[in-house]
Amino acid sequence: MNPSLPANLIETLSLIMVITSVAAVEMRRLKLSAVAYLCQALLMVGLLVTFGSVNPALYWWAGTALVTKAILTPWALFRFLRGRDDREVKPVIGLGPSVVFAGVLMLGFYQLTHGRVTLLAPTEMAQLEVFRTNLAVASTVFALGLYAVLTRRDAFKTVIGLCLLENAVHLSLVSLAPELPETAVFGVATEVVVTVFLLLYVIDGVRQEFGTTDTFQLRELRR
Amino acid sequence: MVTETSIIPAVTFLLPLVAGAPVLLWKRIDRRVQQGLPVLTAALVTAMGAWMAHKVLGGVILTTWSNELRVDGLSALMVVVIGTVALMASVYSIRYLRTEALIRRVGEAAAERRTRIFYGLVLWFVGTMLWGCVTNNVVMLYVAIEATTLTSGLLVAFYWDRRALEAGYKYLMLLTIGITFALFGCVLLYAAAAATKQLPGASPMLISEIRRVAPLIPGGTAAFAMAFLVIGFGTKAGIAPFHPWLPDAHAEAPTPISVLLSGVMIKMALYAMVRTVSIFYPAWPQVSTFLVALGIFTMVFGIVMAMSQDDLKRLLAYSSVSQMGYVLAGVGLGTYLGCYGGLYHLLNHALFKSLLFLSVGAVIYATGARRISELSGLRHRMPITSGCFLLGALAIAGFPPLNGFWSKLTIYLALAQAGLWWAAVLAVATSVLTMIVMVRAGIRVFWGKPRTAAVAESAVREVPAVMWLPMATLAALCLLLGVYPQVAYPLLDRAAAALATLGT
Repeated sequence: MNPSLPANLIETLSLIMVITSVAAVEMRRLKLSAVAYLCQALLMVGLLVTFGSVNPALYWWAGTALVTKAILTPWALFRFLRGRDDREVKPVIGLGPSVVFAGVLMLGFYQLTHGRVTLLAPTEMAQLEVFRTNLAVASTVFALGLYAVLTRRDAFKTVIGLCLLENAVHLSLVSLAPELPETAVFGVATEVVVTVFLLLYVIDGVRQEFGTTDTFQLRELRR
Repeated sequence: MVTETSIIPAVTFLLPLVAGAPVLLWKRIDRRVQQGLPVLTAALVTAMGAWMAHKVLGGVILTTWSNELRVDGLSALMVVVIGTVALMASVYSIRYLRTEALIRRVGEAAAERRTRIFYGLVLWFVGTMLWGCVTNNVVMLYVAIEATTLTSGLLVAFYWDRRALEAGYKYLMLLTIGITFALFGCVLLYAAAAATKQLPGASPMLISEIRRVAPLIPGGTAAFAMAFLVIGFGTKAGIAPFHPWLPDAHAEAPTPISVLLSGVMIKMALYAMVRTVSIFYPAWPQVSTFLVALGIFTMVFGIVMAMSQDDLKRLLAYSSVSQMGYVLAGVGLGTYLGCYGGLYHLLNHALFKSLLFLSVGAVIYATGARRISELSGLRHRMPITSGCFLLGALAIAGFPPLNGFWSKLTIYLALAQAGLWWAAVLAVATSVLTMIVMVRAGIRVFWGKPRTAAVAESAVREVPAVMWLPMATLAALCLLLGVYPQVAYPLLDRAAAALATLGT
């Protein structure tokens, strides 16, 4: 792949992508959290299109991401929230400490991956600056997604965390496996959508049975 | 080994997927067709598995679609195991789901709809498991394994009550998070293999090709890939400490699903783990020690947790965690003897754990109870079930001459041969604890004086033949593989040879 890419544009999109991750995790209104996720999905499509200027195979990825991550997944998220109170169940960590922690996590992971990219990226191409940035952003989004899953009590928010995890892995493929066949990309992307649909379906059942989406209230099996 | 192109590996996994579609989509499909299709499909899959095993024993590796699918001894073994267990679970389901209890629990209309969805998803679940076992593509391996989670998620939450929903949510969430790590691992494997530039004309996505260039993969990348693969596939395989989803899901799912989860799904995930991680053994032999240690920790942890369970299904679920530790300790060694013992135990555990879950399901079907403290004295009312449970309990405990004895003995010997005496001692100690836990549960449930009025007043009866026949068949197989362990030798030999990469 020819590395003559618009580095400034990629870095800007990447930076905003990290910010949308923090927003998706920290927003206390679930609808805003879903909006942040939608923005991230669109940014991801933009990044894939940008990388596609030197590797046309990535246009297909961008199309797949647009349908699965920017249309179907947000549709499922907003449909779940329609007509319901969208205030998040109070998380384990309060807003202030959580933002600080997420910031530290963000900087730590970015620096770590950017500085030691050879451990993760065995190819010469992936060690070029734009791809280093891409991998560093992917690992940062991954860490933030994991942080959301571990510290959020609201089941809807854990789904958002899961979506961030999946976005991160998908983004890393640009640097690690740009030659990945379309069938594999399609398989990976489709499964994410099905996972989100199924999880929201089960969470809806949880809400009907338990009267809440607070995962701390799921203690029936401990009795 | 000679490579031969065949469409059978593709048919093996496509057949259940195709058969499941009309069951799921056609609302007016006849009940007998719903019940018959999984039975017929599982029987055909078992037959195709036997045919593929026969070909493998003749020195042939079957491939399809330019090596995208590849069946060697290990894959053939997995297909036979999945087919057999799916057949038993499908036959058992015919009566197990047709209960007044289900209608009372979910309502008549919902019972009809859910039964149809149940059979359709079972077929897809079996199909995706088979896909994972025949694919040679490392990314499709991830896709197949995640697909098993998606097809079984609603089966775990089948009853749609508080307990089932809690189990279903945890199952879907934890396994998807776990498997995301595996995706990272699979992608790293692919990228690292491609970067070696030693695969001209071959795809670096094929596991058989990655294996060839694995020694050339940089150490740091290999370490990251292995860590991600162990966490990802290990979560799905129920390896401690990634197991928390397992007791909930296995206990709350309908019994035939518990059989598929405990009998084959977790093994299929372990298959994926060792298939990918074992390629690094020659260059990184220390990985095998780590996997053995993880296996020993899992076996001890699982049985300790099982000791305090009052719920029979949770007890069996924790016991599955423990038994997966044995399998991991065996195949984790990487030696031929270790792989042979581990895979032999994988086969045996599929048989006796399915038998135990079906027996417990029979108790639930007959009494409506599943807590040990609520049950007693069922021996006279349910002689076949009690006999099957006891045989399964002795087999899982490694009591001679049943099948579990031989596979555990092989694992002990393999650990001792590798100089890991501490591991062998802990494995023997865990086996003793397993004997205590399982036999104690059996005695308390089936022997002693009846505690409940239903049992005392003869309201409890043996389950119908369509339910005890699969149990009796599995019991007979446990006995057969114990008395004539050489029956399984040829296929296990090929499977172990395909996996073993260290020593002899």
